[in-house]
Amino acid sequence: MPSGGPPAVARNVALGGVLAVVAVLVVLPVLRLAAVLWWEGGDLHRILASAAVGEAARNTVLLAVGVTGAAVPIGVVMALTLRRPDLPGRTFWRVAVLAPLVVPDFVLGYSWTQAYARAGFTDTALGWHWAGLLGPRGVWLVLVVNAAPLVYLVVAVGLAARAEPDGELAARVSGAGRVTALRTVTLPLLGPAVAAASVLVFVLTLGTFAIPQVLGTPAGFSTLTTRIYAGLSIGGDPASFLEAVLLALVLVLVAAACVAPADALLGPRLRTTRPADVQAAQVVPGPAAMRRAQATGLAGYLFLTTALPLAALSLASVTRALGVAPTPANWSLEHFRQVLTPRTLEALGRSLTLSVVAASLLVLLGALVAVGERRRSGRAMGTLVVLTLVLPGSTLAVALLITYGRWLSGSLVLILLAYLAKLWAVAHRPIAGALDRLPADELFAARASGAGPLTAVRTVALRPMAPALLGAWLICFLTALHEVTMSSLLYGSGGETLAVVVLNAQELGRVGPSAALSVVLALLVAVPALALWWAARWARARGVARTAMSPREVPGVR
Amino acid sequence: MTVPSESVAEPDGKWRRRPAPAVPAAVALLLLAACGADSGATDVGTGRAEPITLYTCLSDQSIQPVIEAFEARPDGGQVDLFRAPTGELNARVAADARSGGLRADVVWGCDPLTVQAFVDQGLVGGWTPPGADTVPVEFRTRDYVGGHVLYMVAVHRTDTAAPRTWSDLAEDGYTSLAVPDPAVAASALGALGWFAAEPAYGVDFFERLRARGAVQVSTPDAVTTGVAQGIYDAGITIANSAYAAKEDGSPVDVVWPEPGAVAVYGPLALATGSADSDVAKSFISFVVSEEGQTVLGASGAYPTVPGVEGPTVPPGAPVVSPDWAAIAADKDAVLAEYQQVFGG
Amino acid sequence: MSVEPVLEVVDLVVVYDGTTALHGVSLSVAPGEVLALLGPSGSGKSTLLHAVAGFLVPSGGTARLGGTPVAGNGRPVPPEKRDLAVVFQNYALWPHLSALDTVAYPARRRGVSREQSRREALELLDLLRIAHLADRRPAELSGGEQQRVGLARALARRPSLYLFDEPTAHLDAHVRDVFLQELVARRRGTGAAGIYATHDAEEALGLADRVALLRDGRLVQVGTPQQVYEEPVDLFAARLTGPASVIDAPDGAGRLLVRPGWARLGGPLEGRLRAVWFRGPHSDHLLDTAAGEVLVRQPGPPRHPVGACVGWTLVRSWPLAG
Repeated sequence: MPSGGPPAVARNVALGGVLAVVAVLVVLPVLRLAAVLWWEGGDLHRILASAAVGEAARNTVLLAVGVTGAAVPIGVVMALTLRRPDLPGRTFWRVAVLAPLVVPDFVLGYSWTQAYARAGFTDTALGWHWAGLLGPRGVWLVLVVNAAPLVYLVVAVGLAARAEPDGELAARVSGAGRVTALRTVTLPLLGPAVAAASVLVFVLTLGTFAIPQVLGTPAGFSTLTTRIYAGLSIGGDPASFLEAVLLALVLVLVAAACVAPADALLGPRLRTTRPADVQAAQVVPGPAAMRRAQATGLAGYLFLTTALPLAALSLASVTRALGVAPTPANWSLEHFRQVLTPRTLEALGRSLTLSVVAASLLVLLGALVAVGERRRSGRAMGTLVVLTLVLPGSTLAVALLITYGRWLSGSLVLILLAYLAKLWAVAHRPIAGALDRLPADELFAARASGAGPLTAVRTVALRPMAPALLGAWLICFLTALHEVTMSSLLYGSGGETLAVVVLNAQELGRVGPSAALSVVLALLVAVPALALWWAARWARARGVARTAMSPREVPGVR
Repeated sequence: MTVPSESVAEPDGKWRRRPAPAVPAAVALLLLAACGADSGATDVGTGRAEPITLYTCLSDQSIQPVIEAFEARPDGGQVDLFRAPTGELNARVAADARSGGLRADVVWGCDPLTVQAFVDQGLVGGWTPPGADTVPVEFRTRDYVGGHVLYMVAVHRTDTAAPRTWSDLAEDGYTSLAVPDPAVAASALGALGWFAAEPAYGVDFFERLRARGAVQVSTPDAVTTGVAQGIYDAGITIANSAYAAKEDGSPVDVVWPEPGAVAVYGPLALATGSADSDVAKSFISFVVSEEGQTVLGASGAYPTVPGVEGPTVPPGAPVVSPDWAAIAADKDAVLAEYQQVFGG
Repeated sequence: MSVEPVLEVVDLVVVYDGTTALHGVSLSVAPGEVLALLGPSGSGKSTLLHAVAGFLVPSGGTARLGGTPVAGNGRPVPPEKRDLAVVFQNYALWPHLSALDTVAYPARRRGVSREQSRREALELLDLLRIAHLADRRPAELSGGEQQRVGLARALARRPSLYLFDEPTAHLDAHVRDVFLQELVARRRGTGAAGIYATHDAEEALGLADRVALLRDGRLVQVGTPQQVYEEPVDLFAARLTGPASVIDAPDGAGRLLVRPGWARLGGPLEGRLRAVWFRGPHSDHLLDTAAGEVLVRQPGPPRHPVGACVGWTLVRSWPLAG
C-alpha cells in the first residue's frame, strides 16, 4: 500500500514539528526577552508612564493604521488594474510596481529626500520642495509607497487563484455595472487576500524603523522603534537596554492585541468560502479610453513615487559626492568600486546562499503554518508568527542572541534563524490566502488516485499555488538579500553578509556606496528575472507553454 | 531486489514523506555552519595562540590596517573582528552578557560613556597597558585607554559663511541647521555634556539653535549627509565624516570653532574574562604604541598620542574635552532638559 | 408581418491570441424560441455566447438584441446593459452569498428594495422547489441545487434572452418545465427566447425549437431538430446529431445515412450480427453487411445470438453529401 502508517499519527507528528519550530523561532525568544525584564526589573512603570513613551506608542499605532488604510486600497487598485490583459504595457507595469521592494528602507527614505526635499531634484529643477517630507506626513507617504507593492503582490496572487472565475461575469450579466460588480462580488471574494495584506502591512509598519528614523527624527517625530534604537544605542546603560526591551515587548503586545482578534474573527469565516476550480478570472473588456486613463494614472503614480526617487538614487550612485550636480562631469564609478571589492564578492556569495536558503525554508514554513492553522490545535500559529515580525530587527537579533548565543553566536545559522523568525509571517500570509482558495476535493481526488500526501500536494496543489509561493519566495529573498540590522548585529568573523561588508567599509549612513549597493542588488535581481522572462516568452513562442494556456486567460482583443 | 534498495526505490512510500521538509533544512544548516566555522579553523596552521575577538565601532577602513599590522608582529596574534555601529555593538554586548558572558577579549568603543557602562557591569576594565601614559590623561582612566579620538566640529555649505565660534551657529546667516541626537549618538551626548557644562553655552545654546530653525537628526553622519545634500546650511558633526564629504567633492567646509572642537575618545578595554590573555593585552599595547598610532593615523582615524601624524587638523585648531564622569552622573537630567528643547 | 428577432448576429468574427474562434457566424433567434448550439468542444459555442453576452468584444460583424445594436456598431454595450441572462457552466455562484441573496441580486441591481427583491427571490426558489435552501451558501448545496439557484438567478433578471453556457449537468425534467413555461408565460413585449449551448445531441434535440450545428467556429447547419436529425448536411452533422450508420448506396452513387430506427430485422438483405445491446424498451443490433455496418433498433429484447446470420430491411435513408 502506498500510504503507510496511521495518518492521524503522522499528522500529529507534523503538527507537533511545526509547533516546535514556532517555539524555537518565536515563542522562546520572546519569552526570553520577557525573562530579562522579569529578572532585572528596573522601574518599568515609570518608563511606561512617561509622556514621551506614550506619544511614541500613539504615533506608532496611528502610523500603522494610516499606512494600512492608504496602502491597502492603493495595492488593491494596482492589482485590479494590472490584471487587465488589455492594459497597454501591462508586463512592464507589473514589474515596475515592484521596484520599491528591491531598495532597502533607509536608502528609499534617502531617495525621497534627494527627489523632493530642499535642494533636491524638484527644488533644483522647478524651485519646489516639500517641507512636510521630513516629518510625520513624509514618513506616512513613503511607508505607504513602500507597502503598496506588498499589498499588490498579495492581492494579485489572490486574484490569480480565484475560486470562481465567472463570478464577476455573472454579476455583470445580472445587471451590475463595473463598480457595483467590484463592490458586491470582486472585493468580498478578495477578502482573505486583503485581510492577509492588511495584517502584514499593519504589523510591518508597527515594526518599521529606518524610514521613521531618516524622515521622522528631524521633525521630532518618534515611534516605539526609534526609541528602541535610541535605548540600545545610548551608553551601554543597562537601564536604557531594559527600556528598549520593554518597548519591544510593548510592540509585541500591540501587534498581538490587534492581530489575534482579527485572526480569530476573520480566519474561520474567510476559510469557509467555497473553494472551486482555480482559474484566472475572466475580465469584461472595458472602453479603450478607460484603459488609457488607467495606464496614464498608473504611469503618473509610478513616476512620482518610484521613478523620480529611484532616478535620484541611481544618479547618487554615480555622482562622486553629495550636493554636487548630478551631471556627467561629476559622474564617477567610485562608489561601485568601493562596493565591488573581492571581499564584497565573497560576501555576496554568502548573502545569496543565505537568502536563497532562507526564502526557500520560509516558503516551506509559511505553507506548513498555513496548513497547520486549519486544524483546531494549530489555529493560533498564524497569529504567533506575527509576533517576531513586529519586533524591530535589532531587538529580534538580541532576543535570538540571548536565547541561542551560547551555542550559535557568530555563526550564519543564527542569522538564518533571525531571517526565518523575522519573515515567517511575510511568507505565511500570502500562502494562507491562496491556500484558502484551494479546493480540498482536488487533494482528496489525488489521494484517492493513489498519491501520498506529499505527492498529492506536489502534483495537484503546487501549480495553482505557484503564484503565491513564488511571490512569498521573492519578497523573502529580496528582504533577506539587503537586510542590514540583524546581520550586522549577529555576524561573526568570516561570516559577513554583503550589507555588512559594504556598510562596515563606510560608516553606516554613507549614501553613495549604499545607493551603489542598491543598484547592484537591483541589477542582481533584475537581470536573472529578465532573462527568465525572455526565456519563458521564447518558450511560449515556440509553443512549449501553449498547452498550459486556456482560452479563458486570453479575453477579447481590440 | 535486495532489502536496502527497496526502501530507496519505493516511489511515494514511507521514507520520503516526513524527512522531506527536514532534509533541505538540515543540509542548509550544515552548509551555513560550515561557512561560519572556516575562519575559526585557520589558526591551526599558524601554530600560535588562540585568536582573540575584538568588538569595535571603528570603521573597517580604519581598523583593518591596524589588525594587519598587529597580526604581522612577532608578539601578535590573530584577531577576529566584530565591527558594528554603536547601537548594534551595545545590543550585542548586552545580549552576550545575558547568555554566558562577553564573547570579546577586547572592546574598542567609540565613546567613554559606553565603555564606562561596560566597566560598571564588570564586563571590561581593570587593566591598562604600561605604555598608556603616553596618552593624555583626559583620554584614559584606570580601566581603559583611548585608542582614537572623534572631534565634533561644524560643517557648513560653502555658500554660507564659516562660523568662527560655536555660538556663531546661532547667529544670522543660517536658515537651517542640523544637530545629531544625543539619545542615539554618544558623540552627540559628549558634545551636549560639554555645552551644558560650559557657562557661556549651557542647554540654552540649543534653545538658540532651535530658534534659528535647527532640527535634530539621528547621527552625525546624517548631519553630514543633510548638509552635503543641501537640506541644511550647517550642522554639528564629526570631523571624519565632514572631511570625507569635502574630499568627495561635496560643497561643504569644515570648521573647528572656538573655544574648541569637542574631543570624544574611543577607549580600548580588556575584557575581565580575558585578564590572562597575552595576545589581548599586547593588542591594546600595540594600538597605543607609537607604531600602532601611526598606522591608525594613516588609515583615517585621529590618534590619541600627541605628535603622531593623523588626518586633517587645521593648524592651531582648538580642542576641548568634556568631563565624562560628570556627564555620566548628570546624563538623565541633561538629556531631559535638552529634550524640552528638541522633543523626542 | 415579421416580428423583430430577439437576437440577430451577422458575420460575427472573434479572434483571440491570433486564433480565429468564430469565422463570420450569422444567426437569429425569434421570440419564444429555444435555439440549441450543438457542437464538439472547441467549436466556438461558448465563444459565441460570450460575445453575445458582452464578455468578449468581437473583431468583426454585428450583434443586435431586440433590434438594438450591442456590438459591432461603435462602442460595445457592457453586459449589464444587455437584456439577457446567463446560466454558467459551473453556475458561477458567489461563495459569499446565500442562495436567497444570489437570486435577489439582479432585482437589487434594478433598484428594487432589499425586502422586495428577497421576496421575489423566495418565490423563484419556491418555484424551483428549493425555498428551504434559501439561507445556504454554494458550498452547502449539491450540484443539482446549485443549478437551480443559477437558473433562479437568471430568471430573476427577467431578460428577453437566456443563454445557457453548457451547464455541466442536464436540466432535470422539473427545471426544464419551469424554464420552458417561463419562456411561454413571459409576454413582455414579444416574448423571451433561449440559446442553449451543449455538446449533447439528445439534450439539444429534446429541448430546442431549432438547432444550430457548429464546427471550428463556423455554422454547419441550422434547422429544426427533425431537420438536423433526419437531413444532416454532411457526415459531420450526421454524427453530431445522433447515432449514425453510413453505408454505400445500393446504386453505388455515394453514401447513405441510416439512423437506428430506419432499418428493421427480417427481410431480404443479409448481415451477420456482430453485437447486441439490450436497452429496455428496445434492443440495438449491430450488423455487418455488404454495404457496411448498420445499427438496427428493434422493439423488445434481443432475438438472435451474436454471430448469427440475419435478414434485414432498409426502411429509410438519407443521401449524404460529399
